[in-house]
Amino acid sequence: MSNKIVPGIYRAVIDEVIGAIRPEFEEYGVSEDVLAELQAKWESKVIASHVAEFEPPQPPPAAPPPAPHAPPLHQSYPPHPMMMQHPHYANPYAALATVAPPPPAANTGAPGQPAVKAEPVDSRYMLGNHYTLPPLPGPNVAAARAPALPPHPGGQTGVISFAKPTQTQQPSSALTRPAYAPPPALQQPQQTQRIPQVDGPSESSDEEDSPSPPASSFAPRTMHPSLPQPVAAAPRPKSPVDSEAINSDLDDSDTENEEEADEGGVGESDIVFCTYDKVARVKNKWKCVLKDGMIHVNGKDYLFAKCNGEFECHPQSSVPLHD
Amino acid sequence: MALTDSLDELITSGAITPQLAMKVLQQFDKSLADTMVKQVKTKTTLKGHLHTYRLCDDVWTFIVKNPSFKMESNEMVNAPRIKIIACKNGDAIEAGKK
Repeated sequence: MSNKIVPGIYRAVIDEVIGAIRPEFEEYGVSEDVLAELQAKWESKVIASHVAEFEPPQPPPAAPPPAPHAPPLHQSYPPHPMMMQHPHYANPYAALATVAPPPPAANTGAPGQPAVKAEPVDSRYMLGNHYTLPPLPGPNVAAARAPALPPHPGGQTGVISFAKPTQTQQPSSALTRPAYAPPPALQQPQQTQRIPQVDGPSESSDEEDSPSPPASSFAPRTMHPSLPQPVAAAPRPKSPVDSEAINSDLDDSDTENEEEADEGGVGESDIVFCTYDKVARVKNKWKCVLKDGMIHVNGKDYLFAKCNGEFECHPQSSVPLHD
Repeated sequence: MALTDSLDELITSGAITPQLAMKVLQQFDKSLADTMVKQVKTKTTLKGHLHTYRLCDDVWTFIVKNPSFKMESNEMVNAPRIKIIACKNGDAIEAGKK
């Protein structure tokens, strides 16, 4: 039952947030299209999460509960405008259409996910171009950083603009270097450049080509977010191993290990967020009054205004034998 | 969650700034709390075996094994284990509620 009310509540929350944040967007000089895009992304993600039956109660014809695969998701876009502000969703692309060719492809109904993803990339790409023009004569620092940079050409925020100057600078330096004999004063900077250039030319040559074939050649968006992210993403797979290796000697007690395993396992997926009114314990009986929470369990969301919890706790319970 | 992912994408694309995203998240927290208080009336009971409990900075964390939720509609939901994160019921929420 409390699962049934979830869609309505989430909608209300989304609408309220979008509505309330609109002035902020204006204050920050961000166009309404972006806000609409945010809303569209958000909604589609919520719907795709299948935490509840997102059959909109108001317009029955619209949005059949999205099936687990992508195309239905895409199909559900057209119906959406009826109930939500989804028309806006089209606007960003319309705006983009003046500059970017891909939008038509999206309208022709390319497979849902790719089409949706490719377009924003395009917009970024263009944004990136604008941003990067000024820093072209960029400092050597940029070149020195080149090896750390992911080779993704997706021009995005200022962060990526680092990548751009690098690309452009590298070829130029590569070309110019043979042309003139470097005065000794220049040799030091050049040596710093030389290191990146080992990697650079191939990189830059790739990227020299890439500007013309835009979004289609890009990896999925997640592959080339702003600069810090790829760096963070790279170590991620290793991190469990690393952290274990590092921690094992120092602070992992036996129980902690178990707990980590417990929490890291099933516990992560099933979770309750709420507030508590009171938590009381008598011997090993715990009683708590929880308020205004959401339960995410078995892939579904439930909401409650009040939840009485009763648990018994055995001191040895942390020993796996008692599971 | 869905919102943070969307915000991340927009930040990454340069469409919005992180500051603005934070504002959105703040607004989301506020809106979610308000909406829950206003619109959610359901009651639930939860029983289970308490595996771990901790109280830190007014935040309770329980890990309950074999929890069973009994929804208002007598719907039962079971799971092998669930983690409960409960913040202290703030005055603002409480004020809105009563």
